[in-house]
Amino acid sequence: MEEFFNKIKESFIEVTLEFETINIKVNSTEWIESHKKLRDEFNLKFFSWLSAIDWDNEVSVGEAPKESVSPCFEVITCLTDLANNNLVTLSTIISKSDSKIDSLVEIYAGANWHEREAYEMFGINFENHPNLEKLYLPDGYEGNPMLKSFELISREVKPWPGEVDVEGMPEESESKE
Amino acid sequence: MVNAIGPQNLNSFSEASVSVEIETEDMTLNIGPQHPSTHGVLRLVAKVDGEKVHDVKPVLGYMHRGYEKLAEVRSYPQITTLVNRIDWVAGFSNEIPFIAGAERLMEIDVPERAKYIRLILTEMARISSHFVFNGAYALEVGALTPIFYAMEDRERVLDLIESVTGGRFHPNFNRIGGVKPAAGAGPTSKKNIQDLPAGFYRDTKVAMEKVIMAADQFQNLIGGNEVFKKRTKNVGVLTPETAEAYGVSGPILRASGVKSDLRMQTDYLPYDQFDYDIPVGENGDCYDRWDVRVKEMVESAKIVLQAIDSMPSGPLQAKVPKVIKVPQGRTYVRAENPKGEMGYYIVSDGGLGPYRLKVRTASFSNVSILPIMLEGALLPDLIAIMGSLDFVLGDVDR
Repeated sequence: MEEFFNKIKESFIEVTLEFETINIKVNSTEWIESHKKLRDEFNLKFFSWLSAIDWDNEVSVGEAPKESVSPCFEVITCLTDLANNNLVTLSTIISKSDSKIDSLVEIYAGANWHEREAYEMFGINFENHPNLEKLYLPDGYEGNPMLKSFELISREVKPWPGEVDVEGMPEESESKE
Repeated sequence: MVNAIGPQNLNSFSEASVSVEIETEDMTLNIGPQHPSTHGVLRLVAKVDGEKVHDVKPVLGYMHRGYEKLAEVRSYPQITTLVNRIDWVAGFSNEIPFIAGAERLMEIDVPERAKYIRLILTEMARISSHFVFNGAYALEVGALTPIFYAMEDRERVLDLIESVTGGRFHPNFNRIGGVKPAAGAGPTSKKNIQDLPAGFYRDTKVAMEKVIMAADQFQNLIGGNEVFKKRTKNVGVLTPETAEAYGVSGPILRASGVKSDLRMQTDYLPYDQFDYDIPVGENGDCYDRWDVRVKEMVESAKIVLQAIDSMPSGPLQAKVPKVIKVPQGRTYVRAENPKGEMGYYIVSDGGLGPYRLKVRTASFSNVSILPIMLEGALLPDLIAIMGSLDFVLGDVDR
């Protein structure tokens, strides 16, 4: 692990090691190259997953980030090496106004569905993807549900009761009366 | 004039018809979303040319519940209830990586005894999941009998899970820092907490020995069946290279000859304390995928028996704050679930709930291989190949 980490450090600039996971940050223009390098030179052939994070200060679900962030999408992939059990996550930042990134399908065939999911959930365009269409959502569905600005309608209709504690058990309320 | 077609004419007749090539249009065949072999609501749109299938398009989303979004409006303890329902055949094992991820960020050391209880129940979930597979897969390739045996044997294991957690499918038993006191374990006042119900060790021993016997029985009943062999051997061969590129994991990957098991490679539960094998296949065909799972059941039963014998004593819960807040940070914790690698990527901003929770499920990646495996397969093999992947739609759609 240590040795592998040092080797990766030589090839990439922003590398951190945390909880036995190597986190690499790259520029979005180097997205394809970096993956090719990790697959061929570092033997990370197992494609675990791809996803994205919507960073925004104004949210309509959940809690907003405590410290102000610059609004952007973070695209993350997770790669592993089955023989030596190295775990690497690779991330890049893309702007929200022009959210596009090169597709990884050429390098990892398994990226296909993950990219389709990120496309419908966040509205990220994966360029050169063989069939970038919706994966889960029905045809004609508008909006990208995983965006922080997308409201969760069930919560709008009925506020979550979890904030207040649930009703007491029957015996408890009886004894009070 | 009646021209009788005698045997002597028949030969030339059939030869003549063979030499004529009939060009037909491909037929589009819809399988599902309500087909018994799709394990839920998966829909396949296949082009059929005679008996050959090509251009298979899986259509997903009939079971999409948006757990990643729902997790963003819930606190950490509330999310365990959700994640139970991802792969409901092995509900307990879904909780483990999530809880382990939150504990890792909070830097909590879980008591040994709680870890052992988690491990035992995870292995039981694996056994019950593989029982379902054994019954259902045999059913899909045409044998009706095994499912009755499988369901009966599985019930014994589910009873044990129920006796500890109170739930057969959705235990919701893990708490950040440990496990909750068992259902039916007597008084739960703070001084006198019991964890496992009376007679649990004895019942488990009996049940696990039955599991080992059942696995042996399946080897004869299913594996020894000539029809089953013919329908599964050399059908749907998956190479390790393709499997890796698609992120296919678990028994399917091991059936293709890759000895990869996260139980041995990571430390989310104390698997290093036990002695067990990792069954690996040779050909990567449907038969191997079935065989690996049957052998895994025996190994899981062995792990449980060892864990029962070496169960440490001690508390069930580490000290945790009353209001659970996970410090800022991010982590990816993965675990070896019955169906493969399951993991949670938790991005925490120090709040009550995660800022983003990415759920990596095994079946999602495993099913994404279907178009490749079904290209050029025979129509009856379609069901055999699909069944051998052992997926659950809740695990695909999340």
